[in-house]
Amino acid sequence: MIPTSLVSAALLGLLAVVLAQSLLIVGNRFVRRHRQRRRERIAAPVRGPLLQLLCAEEDEQTELLYRLAEIDRRTWVALEPTLTALLGKVAGGAHTALVRLYELRGAAVDAVADLSSRSAARRGRAAQVLGQLCHRPAAPSLCRLLADHDPEVRLAAARALGRCGGPESVPYLLESLHGPRTVPPGAVTMALVSLGPEVQRSVAAGLEHPEPLARAVTIEVLGATGVVSHASEIARALREDPQIEVRIKAARALGRLGMPDGLEPLLAAVRPGGPVALRMVGAGALGSLGAVAATGPLAKLLGDPDPHVAAAAARALLQLGPEGRAALRAAADDRSGGPAAAQARAALAESAVGGARHDVRAEVAL
Amino acid sequence: MSMAAGEPWASLLGAAHTLITVCDSAVIVYFVAINTSYLVLILIALGEFVRTLRRAPFAGHDEAATSPFTPPVSVIMPAHNEAAGIVEAVRAMLLLSYPEFEVVVVDDGSTDGTLDALRDAFDLAEVEYVVPDDVPVRGRVTSVRLPRGGPVRLVVARKDNGGKADALNVGINLARYPLLCMVDADSILDSQALLAVVKPFCDDPLRVVASGGVVGLANGCTVVAGRVAEARVPPDLLGRVQVVEYLRAFLLGRTGWSKLGSLLIIAGAFGLFRKDAVVAAGGMDPDCIGEDAELVIRLHKHMREQGRDYRIVFVAEPISWSEAPSNLKVLARQRRRWHRGLTEILLKHRRMIGNPRYGRIGLLALPFYVVFELLAPLVELAGLVLVPLGVLIGAVNADFLWRFLFAAYAYAIVVSMVSVGVEEYAFHRFTRWRDVWGALVGVVVENIGYRQLTAWWRLRGMWDALRRAPQVWGAMTRAGFDSPGQVKESGGDRV
Repeated sequence: MIPTSLVSAALLGLLAVVLAQSLLIVGNRFVRRHRQRRRERIAAPVRGPLLQLLCAEEDEQTELLYRLAEIDRRTWVALEPTLTALLGKVAGGAHTALVRLYELRGAAVDAVADLSSRSAARRGRAAQVLGQLCHRPAAPSLCRLLADHDPEVRLAAARALGRCGGPESVPYLLESLHGPRTVPPGAVTMALVSLGPEVQRSVAAGLEHPEPLARAVTIEVLGATGVVSHASEIARALREDPQIEVRIKAARALGRLGMPDGLEPLLAAVRPGGPVALRMVGAGALGSLGAVAATGPLAKLLGDPDPHVAAAAARALLQLGPEGRAALRAAADDRSGGPAAAQARAALAESAVGGARHDVRAEVAL
Repeated sequence: MSMAAGEPWASLLGAAHTLITVCDSAVIVYFVAINTSYLVLILIALGEFVRTLRRAPFAGHDEAATSPFTPPVSVIMPAHNEAAGIVEAVRAMLLLSYPEFEVVVVDDGSTDGTLDALRDAFDLAEVEYVVPDDVPVRGRVTSVRLPRGGPVRLVVARKDNGGKADALNVGINLARYPLLCMVDADSILDSQALLAVVKPFCDDPLRVVASGGVVGLANGCTVVAGRVAEARVPPDLLGRVQVVEYLRAFLLGRTGWSKLGSLLIIAGAFGLFRKDAVVAAGGMDPDCIGEDAELVIRLHKHMREQGRDYRIVFVAEPISWSEAPSNLKVLARQRRRWHRGLTEILLKHRRMIGNPRYGRIGLLALPFYVVFELLAPLVELAGLVLVPLGVLIGAVNADFLWRFLFAAYAYAIVVSMVSVGVEEYAFHRFTRWRDVWGALVGVVVENIGYRQLTAWWRLRGMWDALRRAPQVWGAMTRAGFDSPGQVKESGGDRV
């Protein structure tokens, strides 16, 4: 049995905790509001010049920039959350002005130093700032950060490299897709696409990468950026790559690129017996490709036992123009009333109300 | 003779005395253990919030909002007799900030003109449609409608009435995107809700199969154009108590479970799932009243049996709001249903309980739910009977009892106050002082009367499940939202 004295002590202790918690809640609220008001009060005098800077023409910015760059540290700290939020939202001259302001304050130098901080939160914030500032000299350090032990820091580094990296960053980004410390493929893809056309030669080297995920990302990037010069290599990947996920990406990329090289491998990819996801994406890609020669094979797919493949084929036919529509009408008029007729009628009905759902998505789980 | 006759009575009384002493001790231990476990979960959640807040500046929400590689989402919204608010709800969904998504509304045989309201508002045209059979459905799909003109990403299906789970299954079949977001028709989502809940999928796409969003109480909040513009603690006592309960159990409890890799419940009001995983698990179970939690447990089961490395996570940001009952009658129905659902789920998956094959789910989460959720009303009500009985027969010292009761309730208050404190520290969504006072009042009142009432309702829910009573969904009392205005009437019972 628990001694009564112990229960009494526990009761008193708990009542004290209740009191302390009440004070903590109220105190926390007071302190937060006080800090907020103080920050607003300190930042208020410089908000006007900041807005002027953002709206000013380039030749009028210099004086304002130097004025703002000379504000004391306390004001800068109070203003920084606003500046950081603005940096991610404004573009053009306003963005350039903010970047210059940050550089004049030495924020880029501080951020580079923070990349090697012991705190993961500081490293991540530093990567974010350097990306927003498009601080090209930080690219090598950011590449190293792709192997950081903290996954969110690695993500921040990948995003930052998408803004301030160059061709030399591409191999690091592709390597970050595999190994013990990886970066999600979506982030790497976005970073590589953001780097623009000048890095596409380096990206294309990833077509021969031994890791399937790196090949898949490479293909997706080439497809998304419309690099038609590599269509034949992507077509080869669709035909020959041992990994289904890579082939799915290749099929989608070929549809986006719209090159004739894609027709034959796409027609092969949609043949019965292949993986459903590949056939679905392949059918959709044939529609995007817009090759009239695909009309017959797609019309045959309307009766496919898999309803997703059949639906993708029906919508692809809509994209092929008059020939595709004629094939759909012929299938819809089929008196046997099989699944092909139903799919054709559904696609035509969707199209008639203007709500055709063309894009085909399939799971890609590398 | 008298001695001989009295002996059996004396031994019987002695045995009863011993039994009641043991039971009372068990109740005491149970009370301490249940509150300690909540406290541990809350402290784990606090650690997670601190981590999330420190990393918020580089979380990448802005990038996800504009990236063409953010995975597209099919938002599935089952609706049954929701004519009052369906149009505004769908409009609010269509205005979510997200790169690519569609809204699939499944009208589950409404008789109040839900479909007519949608048809008029979105200029819907009926189209012939082939609905795939990825997961089995019971109610026949009678029509599919699309908006004329095309650009509105909306599909409205009408089906024979078959229940929420069956409507969700039709939505799963109609969805064409790899991620499924299941929301209630009365859910109010923040504009960034999809971006927040999809983040785990973007950050860890190979492992995350489901993520749940926090559901807050919309009662008393100011709602403008289908969004919560200002969070408030409701002025009524019942609402205040539920705010505290939601904070402790749903926000902090689930965040704690998520951190432990053992999240069992994703609210039907707002959850995101990989379509392939849901299809592989067989979709929603139309025979189970707690279909949302049942799906999550089945996903765990499926993934573990397949030997897959996977994660089911909880997004610890307040992003979704739902009406809660504002009168005892509706609350009683809700709690009865919830506990019935929990009982059915635990019975259905009883082989997972304590089974090392299912890792933390089998060895930690499910046993916890059995001991501290399923049996809680039984123990609590047993305590209410046995402890006074113990005092009557002298098994429990009255002086000890009142001190212990005060200490126990003080402990429960401490646990709930930590929840309020954590919310105040991490999110501080309630801007007015009176909201804080309201929540603190709720903390105190929750333990006096409210817990005991819910224990009784939950016990009845358990009994319903055990005797397999017919499933009764109950009428939903809704008045929709003023715009701008406040949530006026409540009857929501799915969180």
